[in-house]
Amino acid sequence: MAEDTFMGVPREKIDWAPTIDYSKCDFCMECDKFCPHQVFERREEDPKLVVANPHNCVVFCRACAKTCGPDAITFPNKPDTIAAIKNIREEEGEQ
Amino acid sequence: MKRAVLPCNGLDKQHGVLARELALRLMETQGAEVICPVLLNNSPARYEKALAEAPLLVIDGCPTRCASKLATKLGLRVDDKLLVSEQAKAAGLDVGESLRPGPVGMQLVDVMEAGLASVEEPVVGEEPSASFESPTDYLTVTYDKFVFKIPGKDYLFNENDCWVRVIGDRARVGVSDFVQQSMTDIVYFEPAEVGRKIEQFDEIGSLESGKSMMDALSPVSGRIVAVNAQLADSPELVNEDPYGKGWIAEIELSDFDSDKGLLLNADSYSKVVEKKAAEAQH
Repeated sequence: MAEDTFMGVPREKIDWAPTIDYSKCDFCMECDKFCPHQVFERREEDPKLVVANPHNCVVFCRACAKTCGPDAITFPNKPDTIAAIKNIREEEGEQ
Repeated sequence: MKRAVLPCNGLDKQHGVLARELALRLMETQGAEVICPVLLNNSPARYEKALAEAPLLVIDGCPTRCASKLATKLGLRVDDKLLVSEQAKAAGLDVGESLRPGPVGMQLVDVMEAGLASVEEPVVGEEPSASFESPTDYLTVTYDKFVFKIPGKDYLFNENDCWVRVIGDRARVGVSDFVQQSMTDIVYFEPAEVGRKIEQFDEIGSLESGKSMMDALSPVSGRIVAVNAQLADSPELVNEDPYGKGWIAEIELSDFDSDKGLLLNADSYSKVVEKKAAEAQH
């Protein structure tokens, strides 16, 4: 989905996706079962779960982290992401 | 108040063990009827009477939320919920890894018990301000057999499908018609804490249906001054009237001029809904 945007900003320019802490993850797959956007992908080899499609992640959604028993999922700092989106919009508005 | 309590079975993780301990404590001190999740799953009729007579508290151990999921699966009406791992974090208590409750774990049980005693009357904050009438003038987005309504004026939206309606220095926020139709019947609403300061896109409550769960993300920054107390008993109001009686929270605005930079009017939001509706079908 090359045309995918959030507030007019190309999705791939926005830093927002889960990060899996593999020292905590027990591969219960609850996050993958929950997420309807195929952000995660299961693998045969280790690690058995990866963030395969970070740009499918809904900007500012953190719902998968709530399903995580061992608390292994983190997200970027929201105010930083908001500031970055506003910056990109301003730059593009000036063109 | 006598409760029915459905805890985590408490055999997989340390926080689950404490869910079970808390249920037993409530049985001892408050005469709560403890519902065994395994027996409930196999023979729901066994607890029919208890569930009909007493408000139901669901105690989950960890975010896997097996007890909540069981309640949803059986279509139970949940009056209150508690997540032990979240309580442990809030209380700053590390209960260790053991599947036997230790002293720190029992301390957490005390804390949770005290918290439950004090929240018999939910805090709803100030009285909601001036009456907000439900809108009458809508744009519609039609996709396949679905028709999504979007109020034509007075409402702004974020791209996460939440709306805001501003009156003076206050705003009311909620979720859009697209959300309620996508989720289908909403069975539980967990409000945010009244008095909390929030940034734009912070959580202002979460919604659960048999199909999915969603955090509502605030279109505006400010302080939560009230939550919609009616949603505790009637979460279906979000389905029936998402832009009116199904409002979620009232916010005292702190920087609306800046928030507006990341909000959409009805026209722009209708394009977002068109796109999302099309994607949801694939």
